[in-house]
Amino acid sequence: MRRVQTFPVPDLHADALAGEEAFALPGVRSLRVPLLLALVAVLATVLVGASQGSVDIPFTTVVRILVSKVLGLGSATWPDTWEEIVWQIRLPRVLLAGLVGATLAFSGAGYQGILRNPLADPYLIGVAAGAGLGATIVLVSPVPYAFGTLSLLPPAAFAGAVLAVSISYGLARSGGVAPNVTLILAGVAVSAAATSAMTFLIMANHQRAVTVLSWLLGGFNTATWQKVGIVLPYSLVGGAAVLASARILNVLQLDEEEAQQLGVPVERVKLLVIVAASLATAAAVSVSGLIGFVGLIVPHTVRLLWGFDYRRLVPMSMAVGAVFLILADLAARSVLSPSEVPVGVVTALCGAPFFLWLLRRHRRAVF
Amino acid sequence: MRRLPLLGIWLALLLALTLVLAACGEEEEPAAGPEPTAAATGFPVTVTRSDGRELTIAEAPQRIASLSPAATEVLYAVGAGPQIVATDLQSDYPAEAANTTRLDAYQPNLEAIAAVEADLIIVATNQDDIVQALDGLGETVLFRDMPESIDGVMEQVRLLASATGHAEEGERLAEEMEGRIEAVTGKLADVEEGPRIYHELDNTFFTVAPNSFVGDFYNLLKARNIAEGAATAYPQFSQEEILDRDPEVIILADADAGESAQTVKARPGWGVISAVKNDRIYVIDPDIVSRPSPRVVDGLEQLARLLYPEKFP
Repeated sequence: MRRVQTFPVPDLHADALAGEEAFALPGVRSLRVPLLLALVAVLATVLVGASQGSVDIPFTTVVRILVSKVLGLGSATWPDTWEEIVWQIRLPRVLLAGLVGATLAFSGAGYQGILRNPLADPYLIGVAAGAGLGATIVLVSPVPYAFGTLSLLPPAAFAGAVLAVSISYGLARSGGVAPNVTLILAGVAVSAAATSAMTFLIMANHQRAVTVLSWLLGGFNTATWQKVGIVLPYSLVGGAAVLASARILNVLQLDEEEAQQLGVPVERVKLLVIVAASLATAAAVSVSGLIGFVGLIVPHTVRLLWGFDYRRLVPMSMAVGAVFLILADLAARSVLSPSEVPVGVVTALCGAPFFLWLLRRHRRAVF
Repeated sequence: MRRLPLLGIWLALLLALTLVLAACGEEEEPAAGPEPTAAATGFPVTVTRSDGRELTIAEAPQRIASLSPAATEVLYAVGAGPQIVATDLQSDYPAEAANTTRLDAYQPNLEAIAAVEADLIIVATNQDDIVQALDGLGETVLFRDMPESIDGVMEQVRLLASATGHAEEGERLAEEMEGRIEAVTGKLADVEEGPRIYHELDNTFFTVAPNSFVGDFYNLLKARNIAEGAATAYPQFSQEEILDRDPEVIILADADAGESAQTVKARPGWGVISAVKNDRIYVIDPDIVSRPSPRVVDGLEQLARLLYPEKFP
């Protein structure tokens, strides 16, 4: 079987690569500065996101509201409405966008690494279609899906996503191994089945079609602290698991058999990364819908800019994913103000040309 | 050779299926049409369809198929009910509509529509070019877009009534509707500016702008729609914009999805909105304010009572 892509071998490709550290696997210490800068960039983007919106609130007031809320300093000299807008609406929205962006990006990096396929994204083996089907079932059922602040939507989408990935993995696995190509094919088949079931349900209940489609398109218009709380644990645990697998992901890029001979527990790591990335993505999708493009393109962008080392690729993908989705959401709620634009439209419309530009500029192997 | 028995079973099954289907088909032969109603006068009637074509209806139709829930309501209201042989799946008012042959207007099945042998087919949405397809079969297709204002509903009532031989009843109904609308607007003659309203279509904050059909209710009621100035007729609003524009009354058209005054009050940040502070969050049946049917006047009167309780005790 032909391998789809492998980690480029330095002596073959070194001349085609710009930058001296592209293949040098830097020690942990050399990661510190870029990671620190990335963290600063994320925090700055959060502040920008929280201070901008269709309602005009002065930047200094936003900062004072945040300071008074976080540190309990200063007294309120601003209208109640502004405080609620900044603290209850914008900040959870920005944090949720950042969290989802980071989650989709590290999950995409993990999937691409573990499946050694540059076209892999976190939706590839069933998360998206499963979540979509779960959400659609709840949305078209005659039972109300909202009870007070509780909604059946996130748990249904989450359950659908986890179920679809489990079926894909279960179908692909035999004799203790799940070959990559089999896994991808199983995922495509499961996704196709779930998608057609979803389409049928939408057509049979078209009075709810707009609601379902607007959920599928995804977005952060209904973000709350509660939703941030739903995603956070999955993102933290999932992100930590993918980060911890970074060194093994590096080895895996050589060759799966070789890695196995080197004593790497390939199947166990594969299962760990798939479970971690799928659970985190399922949680993200359950509160924000299906936001395309981020999980696919962000890891590739990071590869182009900072090289192939997964110990750098995973954390940098998190940062770039967070920044990208916060800015995309800012555009989504600003360009047609006071109306909203689906954020998925923005991610694809702005992300695709940027990525193509980057690709042309660097002209090096992306994967 | 071992395949043969299997093939035999398949053929037998296929034959059985064909017979069953044929039997079903016989059962679904169009039922005998209703007795011709009183010879209607005024025919032939000529109407201009929404695609610009002139349609001439030679005589009063006796077998009407309605692919529009709004048209179904109008037909029953003007007394054309006995002539209706088929309605679309969304026609849920009046309840008798469910006793007619049901057709799908969203994924129209040409064969099923042709099979009811209607002499007038009313279409409001040209889904999948169904109008042209039915024209091609030589059917009489009355294709009229949904009205986009409340005035348009009365026009639609008159048109559908005269096309089905009930011009007089249609005129009477339209005048009654106009009278009730005037009674409402008359009481608001001295109102300069009504309350600020936010009409919620779903819990992702899709709403209605003044230039939409639903928005027209609030225009008539002199309410100040917070969605004024939006780019589209049915825009999705940012939450911060809703808070900032501070509606005094919130009308929920998404109660069937579980939203209520309680759920709105529980939304983080919404406590600063006047409607929430003053407990002015109301539920309305979306059908009577979004479907251009004779019931729009019920919707208008209901909204008037909610927005101006002091004027409509």
